Amino acid sequence: MSDLRARVEALYAAQADELTGHPEFRALEAGTAPKAAYDTFLSNVVRAHMRSPKIVAFLYALSPPAATEDLLHNLLEELGISAGGSEAKEDGTSHPALLRGLAEGAGLADRLPELERLAEGDIRTLVSEPLMYGTLKDVGLSALVEVIAFEWMLSRTASRIATALAAHRGLAPDALAWFTHHAEVDIGHAEQGLDAIRDYAAYYAMDPEDAATIAEMSMRENVFVRRYFGELALAPGAAS
Amino acid sequence: MRLVAAEIFALRIPFVEAFAHSAKDRAASDAVVVKVTAEDGTVGYGEGLPRPYVTGETTESMIAHLADVLWPAVVDRDLAAWSVDLPAAWLPDLPAPGVVAPHAARAALELAMLDATLRGAGRGVADVVPFVRRQVTYSGVVTASDPARAAKLARQMKLVGLGAFKVKIGVGDDVARIAAVREVVGPEAELRADANGAWATPEIAAAALAALAPYGLAACEQPLPRGPASELARLRGLTGVPIMADESLITEADADALIAAAAVDIFNVRVSKNGGLARALAIARKATAHGIAVQVGSQVGETAILSAAGRHLACAVADLRAAEGSFGTLLLAEDIASEPVRFGHKGLASAITGPGLGIRVRDELLRKYALEVVTRGARVTR
Repeated sequence: MSDLRARVEALYAAQADELTGHPEFRALEAGTAPKAAYDTFLSNVVRAHMRSPKIVAFLYALSPPAATEDLLHNLLEELGISAGGSEAKEDGTSHPALLRGLAEGAGLADRLPELERLAEGDIRTLVSEPLMYGTLKDVGLSALVEVIAFEWMLSRTASRIATALAAHRGLAPDALAWFTHHAEVDIGHAEQGLDAIRDYAAYYAMDPEDAATIAEMSMRENVFVRRYFGELALAPGAAS
Repeated sequence: MRLVAAEIFALRIPFVEAFAHSAKDRAASDAVVVKVTAEDGTVGYGEGLPRPYVTGETTESMIAHLADVLWPAVVDRDLAAWSVDLPAAWLPDLPAPGVVAPHAARAALELAMLDATLRGAGRGVADVVPFVRRQVTYSGVVTASDPARAAKLARQMKLVGLGAFKVKIGVGDDVARIAAVREVVGPEAELRADANGAWATPEIAAAALAALAPYGLAACEQPLPRGPASELARLRGLTGVPIMADESLITEADADALIAAAAVDIFNVRVSKNGGLARALAIARKATAHGIAVQVGSQVGETAILSAAGRHLACAVADLRAAEGSFGTLLLAEDIASEPVRFGHKGLASAITGPGLGIRVRDELLRKYALEVVTRGARVTR
């Protein structure tokens, strides 16, 4: 299954390169994009990640015993709760709250109800579409591959994005906490995540080639570009 | 219910990276969608896909035929009486310059009128076309020419439970491609081949099919170019592989000629190619009456509208040998209806119910993907 890990990471690397080479990403980073483009990008980030605790909770339910603790930690962290021994306590800010802070800090608070509605709609669509796979283990692997993809990509680009948003959109450090948090934390998460994919496939005794094929199908289009700039993104200028 | 306005959307919806197509063949859907509006505000949507190599239509000729020939014949007509045959009967059979048959245009407007008529009456297609099944099983389509790529696509399709596959032949090393796919899908899977008229004569086709015999083809679609039905009949006598007509089956006259010549075993009926749901049904019924099986086919890049129409057709055909299409977001970056129409695991998809064609088209997505919008008639606001 170590081959699976390498193959998935290669998919992530290729798609992250495509994202950072995307003309809209480059314009945001170079400061040549109009303000409306920054606002649309920020709105797309909020929409894409606002409901991530629900997806992590789904993955937690399917996790192999060896990965359960890591996924529980990730889930609690998403919810702004730390697990200390047998007790959990609220001592952090949940990721959805960080995303709301991002929108508010960018002056997009009035867009939040619509973005939350769209994020819920994305979950509804996901749940309503006919399942392509015949077992939950296959569905779970597909979801795991996509979730870890974002952690992997953000661990390598979040600080670049935060720098660009501070320089060219004038966002304060507090508003950028979601990005800086991912930049700091997700190198570890991404590595854990790649291990989790390998361990998941092994635990459920998946044929390695089948597992790799599911990963490739999950990543058959660029999930980053699709959500930040593409079909699942708002039309350019929609947040202005 | 009088039709008072039409909007024609020439779309370009990008494809997701290959699942059911070869990216070098086509990178986006070029569907043309028609939205008709009645004086009471009822709307209906239809779709056609122009294919120069099938019906001879281009996007431009299709839009021109729709806007300047078909629409003037139906504007202000009263749609109060509803039936599946009525909209088709109202559409004139006027030729379009340089076109074999302007069927994509007819299909688009017929479906839009049918959708509006049924929607206005609160009825669905099943109310006017009796369904003989409530579930359809779709096949996968492997169009990659490279054997390794074809095998990879087949593996993806097998992994999502598909049990029947169509493989394009007539380009490159057919034997290597078919062998590679057969090895991946296993001996139980159904393999059909589509030659798209690649072989010039029945003898050449028979020899090519003989070379593929070890891999167990369930059918070969359109082995010869569109031409005399007698040529297909001659091939049928030279090979044991069941022969399917596609490009040779565009009009009802084509169907009659193929039946008279005992030329084929299977008809590939497609809503856009055959000029709408009523004509596709009529051809399918002729096939059944003469012991010919039916495949309900599709055009690459169909949106939810033609997928829904194809589903209705597949649910209504008595001797359904295979079904293709309903790829939805497996192929399109985004589909245009609120409801997912695509098939799921094992290629299974249920009959579509609900008023009209049974889907709700999202106008904002038509606008999002429209390269061109042509309007006719008065704008209606409610």
